[in-house]
Amino acid sequence: MSDTQTTGPSELGVLAAESIGEFLQKAVGRSSIVSYVEGQSPLNWNALDDAGWTDVGVRENGEGATLRDLVEIARVWGESCIPLPFISTVMAKRHSAAARASDCAVTVAVATPTLGAGSAYIPFGQIPGIVVATGLGVGRDSVIEVPLGQQDALGLTLRGLEAEATSDFSAEAALEFAVVWASEAVGAARRLLDDSIAYASERKQFGKQIGSFQAVKHHLANALIAAELAESAVIWASLEPAEAFRGSLFAVDKSIEVAEIAIQVHGGLGFTWEVGLHFYLRHMIAIRELISGLRRAS
Amino acid sequence: MTMTSSIETVEEFSARAEEWLRENVPTRWRENRGALSNEEAGEIRREWDRQLSRGGFGGLRVAEQFGGQGLGLAYEVAFAVLAAKAQVPDGFGRIGKVLVAPMLIANGSEAQRAKFIPGILSGSDVWCQGFSEPDAGSDLAGVTSTAVKVAGGYLLNGRKTWTSFAQHADRCFVLARTDVDAPRYKNLSMFLVDMHQEGVTVSDIRNISGAIHFAETQFTDVFISEDDRVGEEGAGWALAMQLLSDERGGAETAARYVEIRADVDLLLESSGDRPELYREHQALDIRTELLRIQLAKVVEREEDGSEAFHRSVSILKVLWSELWRDVTRAGLTAMVAKDREHWRFQYLESLAGTIYSGTNEIQRNIISERVLGLPR
Repeated sequence: MSDTQTTGPSELGVLAAESIGEFLQKAVGRSSIVSYVEGQSPLNWNALDDAGWTDVGVRENGEGATLRDLVEIARVWGESCIPLPFISTVMAKRHSAAARASDCAVTVAVATPTLGAGSAYIPFGQIPGIVVATGLGVGRDSVIEVPLGQQDALGLTLRGLEAEATSDFSAEAALEFAVVWASEAVGAARRLLDDSIAYASERKQFGKQIGSFQAVKHHLANALIAAELAESAVIWASLEPAEAFRGSLFAVDKSIEVAEIAIQVHGGLGFTWEVGLHFYLRHMIAIRELISGLRRAS
Repeated sequence: MTMTSSIETVEEFSARAEEWLRENVPTRWRENRGALSNEEAGEIRREWDRQLSRGGFGGLRVAEQFGGQGLGLAYEVAFAVLAAKAQVPDGFGRIGKVLVAPMLIANGSEAQRAKFIPGILSGSDVWCQGFSEPDAGSDLAGVTSTAVKVAGGYLLNGRKTWTSFAQHADRCFVLARTDVDAPRYKNLSMFLVDMHQEGVTVSDIRNISGAIHFAETQFTDVFISEDDRVGEEGAGWALAMQLLSDERGGAETAARYVEIRADVDLLLESSGDRPELYREHQALDIRTELLRIQLAKVVEREEDGSEAFHRSVSILKVLWSELWRDVTRAGLTAMVAKDREHWRFQYLESLAGTIYSGTNEIQRNIISERVLGLPR
């Protein structure tokens, strides 16, 4: 094995991630997650869909975005935790012909170990008109309406529904969903790190910016280390299928570590609902449950 | 002649307390806590302070001459453990008993002691603490609320935050600037403020868990009588430091130990047949038991007030808050259906523990500078 290897996405991945980043920038910029987490999405679903972004993962004749490319896109997407089923639709269309044929937003039902037998977590299951893909690379390939269920109160940005349903995943589909969701968490961690650096550079105590105190500096240095490791883990997971679940879970755990540090660095504001750092953390926790479910299913 | 001591031992005291708790913890609280309305929960919590008082447990460490029980830390810790195990209501009286009464005994006037201590011990007056402000948290000396001299007293203006119990409080002890020209640390005074008057506005602060434990309190032209200033004008900072340096973490840690112990027991249930979790959970189990032993060392060493005591006691808050976070995170990431909501809620709750009551960064500064004597 060579000492260095290519870790970057292909040109397609780079361009797609850049374009989606610009798209997000226009819609939300750096506005606070609090402004949209429990209300209307700042981004219009139709605009995203009409521009063809929901087909970005579709492969034809063996060509199209690689998993590494999708990791890049999901990371950029994850920085804003927009409450739209973009990632689930992209991944469903990649692995299901019925999803590709549907005009609707698409999601999947994942039986997680944190739910009772027969019950599954359906990200964005609360969104009207969304359909569930039943077979991802395996099983009966169809889309169905979302069954009645209970709204998840934790992952607010995921608009999750807990209901009796299941999607079947091929081994490849399961690991790809896992890696791409993990990458969303990595994006959220990066955003939290940036916000924390900005806060520590601005907030003053004892007449100085708190970022000038070594205790705070070391927290943020550790947050960078964790964020980098999280990104490395998700790249590793995308390049080496045997490591997909291990790498994805590690990436989410490191992202959660970043979120904990972000909250700590924000002091009293960090643990208040209204400042909203916890919305990213909640997103990460829900994603961790999804990945655990996919690992169990595969 | 045989010496018979009339002083109750910790064991005798514990037996008496255990029996009293068994008979007095409201069933509705213990069994239906989650289902209680805010109003009903509030009534039970307020009544609990009165029950404690009637039972003779109202002011365990407050000297007998002031109406308390005059007991030592060992008794207080023993009671805290038993109370937590008995799942007592979270009374509103803590700030009054732990902070205000000791401050008045040490530095208050005769009149202030007579006026305020009985209400604190009987549970009729709820107190809150008006120290932190939006721009003065870790840097407490930077408070900018002002108390300006007027005929017969002062007019208080300013915004206080992280005031536990403010929604229920009858009174607040407030740190405010009385002198705009005096140097830092000499410009603050301490006041006892009636919360039931015009100009006092309290608003809830919601935590990331969704629960409400804190409030923000706005004071607008609130009158304070001259008689309700504690100590001299300008003595506020010294009084605050004396209070905060009092070694009062023991009872809090004891209650935390009981809660964490129960959580670790839940964790161990989930890792029984999962070898990949076993080591992590065992390590948390060990840390939890060592919290108990740490507390026992603190209680034993309190008597001599030695360097060993100061070292042992100084790390309590860092120990329990970081352990609580690690235990609840382990519960969350164990990914089991059982107790899922419990872990989600407790984990988010725990993330505040390393921040409130002095951030763990400030705690480590105190440990390194005041306890270990490192250069500032």
